[in-house]
Amino acid sequence: MAERTRVYYEAELSELEGRALGGIDLVAETLGRTLEAVEHRDMELAQMVIADDDRIDGRYLEVHQSILALLATQAPVATDLRLIAALLHLIKSIERMGDQCVNIAKLLPLAGHEPPRDERMVRDLITMGKQVRSLLSQAKQAFSARDVDLARDLVRGDDVVDNLNRECFRAAIAFGDTVDRREWAMTMMLVARALERIGDNAVDIGEQTAFVVTGLFEEFEDASHPEPVEH
Amino acid sequence: MTQDPTSREGRTGAGGGEAAGGQAELSIRPTFQHDQHLSKEKVFELKDINVFYGENLAVQDISLDIYKQQVTAMIGPSGCGKSTLLRCLNRMNDLIPSAKVTGQALYHGEDLYGPKVDPVQVRKLIGMVFQKPNPFPKSIYDNVAFGPRVLGMDGDMDEIVEKALRRSALWDEVKDRLETNAFGMSGGQQQRLCIARCIAVEPDTILMDEPCSALDPISTGKIEDLMMDMKRDFSIVIVTHNMQQAARVSDRTAFLMVELDATEQSRWGRLVEYDETQKIFTNPASSRTEDYVSGKVG
Repeated sequence: MAERTRVYYEAELSELEGRALGGIDLVAETLGRTLEAVEHRDMELAQMVIADDDRIDGRYLEVHQSILALLATQAPVATDLRLIAALLHLIKSIERMGDQCVNIAKLLPLAGHEPPRDERMVRDLITMGKQVRSLLSQAKQAFSARDVDLARDLVRGDDVVDNLNRECFRAAIAFGDTVDRREWAMTMMLVARALERIGDNAVDIGEQTAFVVTGLFEEFEDASHPEPVEH
Repeated sequence: MTQDPTSREGRTGAGGGEAAGGQAELSIRPTFQHDQHLSKEKVFELKDINVFYGENLAVQDISLDIYKQQVTAMIGPSGCGKSTLLRCLNRMNDLIPSAKVTGQALYHGEDLYGPKVDPVQVRKLIGMVFQKPNPFPKSIYDNVAFGPRVLGMDGDMDEIVEKALRRSALWDEVKDRLETNAFGMSGGQQQRLCIARCIAVEPDTILMDEPCSALDPISTGKIEDLMMDMKRDFSIVIVTHNMQQAARVSDRTAFLMVELDATEQSRWGRLVEYDETQKIFTNPASSRTEDYVSGKVG
């Protein structure tokens, strides 16, 4: 019976993956606070979201450094190499998602003091944010379990986000008949855009899952040649 | 109807700017592309090769093709038969009385073990460099000139020697001391001298059996660079324990593994996987290859 070797290296790699995937939990937590700040116009909470981004950036730097160290010292190949390449993508996506939460938090004061607001659009934004948060959880689970089917299913959830984004756009146009209302609606459109981007990052993580498993990189959705959208 | 700019949103690809929103998509789908520039001309075609030492099977049912002007690496744990297989390629096993080779080994389409084939001529066309540098106790010049003299090669011997030393990246280091004893050279230089001695007789293929295992990293780097240069003129087959060396220098890699019988008394080598090196080291087909190249099973 062949003896297994490099057990410390395997443990190190496994811990690295855990730290990287833990970054998704940090983003999910931050996103939850961000949504709460949007819903309740809570500027204090928005400030906390901005300050707390250092934790996500720190995780990015930590994982990035560990990846470099593993590449330099362990010469990973085959599945290990694909995993490490995927983790590099994944941690960058996590860092970007954290930045999107910060973008949203910074937008809130720009919507004006006691602005007019369209409750239906706020509801859509919150629904969108919750859907994105669920995508994050699914992306983590798919990567962790190396479940390509679950990873591909992220596209379906992302379509829901995209549809809500369009709804917000329509609502913003309908709402903006005064300067104040337009200002609020445009700001909220930027919030919607940031949420939509986080959803895309979740799908990116799904694509990396498929890469680790199959060794082939493919985009789940070909955005350069999208399916025609029904209006 | 109002244009809805969000209706065609797409995901921005890696490095895509946020502001560009869907305009920076990946236009290609990178996959592990096979190198289209690699030669498709076969030098060796091995079919069902078995090697026995007496009654003992050393390698079993090896079938693989080796291509012109490529570096082909053979990797695997000790006892997997990679050196035995290498020695089949220039009939070195003939020198071991108990060795027997069955199966078919074609060299440029001709049976290497055919009755009319002269093993000496085979070893001229298919040279071998060994693990330990083994220069003759002669001058540098005489080491390189030895083969051409024995074979009675035509031409100016000085030119033959200089050409071989240049092709083995040694000329500049030894041109002023060609008459000094080869034993005064460093280990790395001695190994490059052995390569020069091998290529002086104008072979077609060079077999290398662990050529760097006795060398320091700098000398190893020089030999590896040399292999990359030499494959323009020769086909190279290298046996190595150093998997990173196989990954660095070879175009194709064969992974051999030890098989044990039920009693674990007999062991022999089998080919597990043979593919382009990039494939072997990024996405091997066999889990046994994966475990070996990633160093998880010794």
